[in-house]
Amino acid sequence: MSASAPAGTRPSGRAPAIPVPASGRLLRLELRHNVMLWLLPVVGVLFWYNGYREVMALPPMWNLRAMTLQNRLLLDLVIPAVGAAAWMGSREGRRDMTDLLGVTARPRWSRQLAAWAATTAWAEAGCLACIAVVYVMTARQASWGGPLWWPAAVSVAGVPPLTAIGFAAGALFPSRFITPLITVAVFFGFAFSTQATSGDHSNWQISPLISGAFNVGAAPGVATFYRYLPDLSIAQVMFTVGLTAAVLGGLGLPAANGPRLRWLAAVVTAAGLGAAGTAVTLAGTGRLDPHGMIVIPALHDPASGQPVSYTPRCSGTAIPVCVHPAYSVVLPAVTAAVGSELTELAGLPGAPARISQVPVAYQQSSGNTTSIIAALPSPSAFVVPDPVPGQPGATSAEFAGQLAQSLGLQLIIDVVLDGSGRGADLNPSQAELAVIGGSVQFPSSVEGRDLPPPFSRLRDAPGSPVGLAARRFAALTPAARHDWLEHHLTALRAGQISLAELP
Amino acid sequence: MILRLVWLHALSRRLPAALALLAACAAGLRGTLYGHWDAYGALQLPLIIEAACAAVIAVTAGSPFGEPERATGRWLPFLRLGAAVALTALAAGLLAAAGTGMPLAGGFPDVLRNVAGLTGIGLLCAVLLGGPLAWIGPLTYSLAGVYALYTDWHPPTLSTPWLWPGRPPHDAGGALCAAGVFAAGLIAFAVRGARENANQ
Repeated sequence: MSASAPAGTRPSGRAPAIPVPASGRLLRLELRHNVMLWLLPVVGVLFWYNGYREVMALPPMWNLRAMTLQNRLLLDLVIPAVGAAAWMGSREGRRDMTDLLGVTARPRWSRQLAAWAATTAWAEAGCLACIAVVYVMTARQASWGGPLWWPAAVSVAGVPPLTAIGFAAGALFPSRFITPLITVAVFFGFAFSTQATSGDHSNWQISPLISGAFNVGAAPGVATFYRYLPDLSIAQVMFTVGLTAAVLGGLGLPAANGPRLRWLAAVVTAAGLGAAGTAVTLAGTGRLDPHGMIVIPALHDPASGQPVSYTPRCSGTAIPVCVHPAYSVVLPAVTAAVGSELTELAGLPGAPARISQVPVAYQQSSGNTTSIIAALPSPSAFVVPDPVPGQPGATSAEFAGQLAQSLGLQLIIDVVLDGSGRGADLNPSQAELAVIGGSVQFPSSVEGRDLPPPFSRLRDAPGSPVGLAARRFAALTPAARHDWLEHHLTALRAGQISLAELP
Repeated sequence: MILRLVWLHALSRRLPAALALLAACAAGLRGTLYGHWDAYGALQLPLIIEAACAAVIAVTAGSPFGEPERATGRWLPFLRLGAAVALTALAAGLLAAAGTGMPLAGGFPDVLRNVAGLTGIGLLCAVLLGGPLAWIGPLTYSLAGVYALYTDWHPPTLSTPWLWPGRPPHDAGGALCAAGVFAAGLIAFAVRGARENANQ
């Protein structure tokens, strides 16, 4: 309706200080009369319900929250954004005004682009508001690092293709049913496109919902020790821009008035298809790097693969436990899980003076699986189990159990077996086995099959002589166990202590 | 006379087109069930298609005549009621038939509960927002339902019966909530009809 006003005239009212071109006034009108504005509360509620609560329940680590946000936010935006765009796109046809507006000075494509731009602007406003809330809250809570902008950029770039597809469908098929149908179709295609992803060479990684390697996703160890690699994000942004251009260009092919506009629409469509196709091809050349991110050779900057410098955060325990500062939030859980072992072993021969966290390495296995390799370079190194408490499906008890099985067991083995248990076949004496079993505080969830063969007996046969001796030893306080080991460790290692001599 | 009235009412609400779309949704469900989906897909796919059916039914609520139609006689509430009930039953039946012999999660009870509840939301939206915008309710709710199904694997599980898609198929609480919403939607729609909005 606004476009029916002759170009160069303005509505009644005070003249603006700076003359606004007709297209600007058209956009302003579309912004004021756009259904997406009224759907912003729906966006807010959906995001709060589906995304925000889950994102904010994660530990305050930038990588976890930013990468999870990329996955959640666009899903919450699909239905309102596509629906609003289809509704706006079908407006002229729904109101039987196509012929009436066809005689105005503005080409139909121009009018459509103004309505699409206004719809997209409001959808982007909602998207940016959601990102801002999560990032501001995370900035106040995170112990280290700064915002990851690439996941946010992909989310922002993912909105225009959604509105473009919805708008084009509404404009081309202005039926009363088109809005719900195209909304469901886009949601279906968008949400389930990730199901086809398989391995690090999959072209389906181009989906803007995928942040990082598909099978690794938002893991604590990704983009912590090494910088976030933007390779996949760049391809995803290229794809969304290309798809948007292709759809909007295609919309202009039948709507453009005159050969020049039609040529322009054709060029935009071809360029968009080219960019989108190139991005899909590039995504298919990706490979999983050892740090858990996707490297795309054509887009990769070798300088971005350098490790991040940081000052570790250490606990005040008898043996200090030092972690990457991003992991500060889980340091209390780590020290609680192995606190008694640290007290018991501090200062004994073979015990480390300090324990430091090292990163894990990721490796693409056959099919759609990824191996996580924990290569410990020294007895004083350990890896923090993944997932950490707060991540979906992870509990504090499971986290403590994994630490007891890995760090706790390795510490006591290194001391009691004098390091001979590392990388070699374990063959402890019965007394050594009982001391090891009595020192490690295995949670009840740990079963025999979770432990290396010699120690599985401790869980499988708790009533055996070794098991009973281990229970006696475990009944002592960590300080008492420390005192006993301080005086008897040499004899224990030499095999001169029997089960009966254990306290 | 009555039959002609019913036929004209059905035509004015685009019921033949809606029937074709419901059949297309059922065919789409059948087609997707041939695919290999993980647990998420297997559970969430039917809900999305059920939401599409409910949105189609809700959109038919809009009247092209507006106020003059209300003054034509006493049959209009019954025509609205009959059309909504018939379409809902057809949608549930078509989707259940499409899932016959296929691994349709939840089976017929799940389909019936979800379609009825989502349609109830759509009819309430039609009363409040108008027929053309009635799709907002079922589609928005379906996203919350998809999330409720997701939390079955990622605790804390959303166990409120008001999010019935996340409840087991034979759960009484979820079924009661869905039935209540469907009844409320039917009554409100039959009595008030869809809101007429000149801007739509």
